[in-house]
Amino acid sequence: MKQSAVEAVIRGLKKAGVSIVCYLPDSLFKELYPALDADPDIRTIQVTNEGEGAAICGGVFLSGKRAALVMENSGLRASVEPLARMGLGAGIPVVMLMSYRGDTGENNWWAVPHGITMEPVLKALRIPYVVEREEDRIERAITDAFELAYASYYHTAVALSGSIVR
Amino acid sequence: MKRFDCMTRLAARLDNELVILSLGASVDEWYNAAPHMRTASLFQQQLGCVTPQAFGLAAGLPDRRIVSLDTDGGMMFNLGILATLGNEQPKNLFVVVWDNECYQSIGGPPTHTASGRVDIAAIARGAGVEHAYTARTLDEFDAHCEAGLKADTPYVVVAKVAGTVQPDIRRKHSDGREDKYIFVRHVEATEGITIMGPSEHN
Repeated sequence: MKQSAVEAVIRGLKKAGVSIVCYLPDSLFKELYPALDADPDIRTIQVTNEGEGAAICGGVFLSGKRAALVMENSGLRASVEPLARMGLGAGIPVVMLMSYRGDTGENNWWAVPHGITMEPVLKALRIPYVVEREEDRIERAITDAFELAYASYYHTAVALSGSIVR
Repeated sequence: MKRFDCMTRLAARLDNELVILSLGASVDEWYNAAPHMRTASLFQQQLGCVTPQAFGLAAGLPDRRIVSLDTDGGMMFNLGILATLGNEQPKNLFVVVWDNECYQSIGGPPTHTASGRVDIAAIARGAGVEHAYTARTLDEFDAHCEAGLKADTPYVVVAKVAGTVQPDIRRKHSDGREDKYIFVRHVEATEGITIMGPSEHN
């Protein structure tokens, strides 16, 4: 990720009022995680799996603070159980920002399943999402995801791909 | 040791705390053992989510004491949260694990702790939660509640309880969605904040 894209993500998160980020680090967002750790306005919580991160974000929602779950899109699969229970069972929203592994341009065989499963899993959970491939759209995508999550009290997701992550 | 009796002891110590609660029969038991905490308790049906949610709440409200009422099945479902608590060291989180060594709500098949080899408190200590204990008597449990509710590091007590349910107790009628609204409005009122505010237009 270019420094300018990292800054756009952090700008979007701050504009959306995010003060806590849960993450499990991945390679496409490699430069983003230390920048989040270093930001004085954001508390980062590194988790052992993304489902745990989703549940922590749900708890943060209940506190009145705003959280985001940042991860590779494979983490979506690890998060399905808590997302289904919190979102569909109780109306507790989680906003997710994920790197899009397995999109066109992918050059790792192991990442192909992530691309095949991401959108069908999001659709199965009826989670509104956008895929962004241009840096100048990042900030708006993040603030829009929070607007809808806090109107619907349901999850939303932003997947970043293309020139943003490669 | 009966879970309901432990809950009664814990409830007597609670006032301004917020509680995240696990699934199964413990929901109705807590509803009856702690009637003064009903709006301050989030009754959820989420195996593996309870302590992570409680930790998220504790992170968002660092000046409020948060209590997680988890279970052996729920904690075993997501042991990673213990490592996260070990690293993050929240100052305001007290975790109770009701360990009845079975999946009681589906008829009682054994959990991993029934073997006698799996020790959740020892796992927690190994994960960096220094104050993690097992309680086998009511007085032991009560002493851990007293210590855990004023600790400034994460505190876990695994309560070894019978696989029985308190008979003839009132059932809770609300679902997870109604429970969330009740809980959120309680947090808003007691913290003086808005969590679920009005739309742009009516």
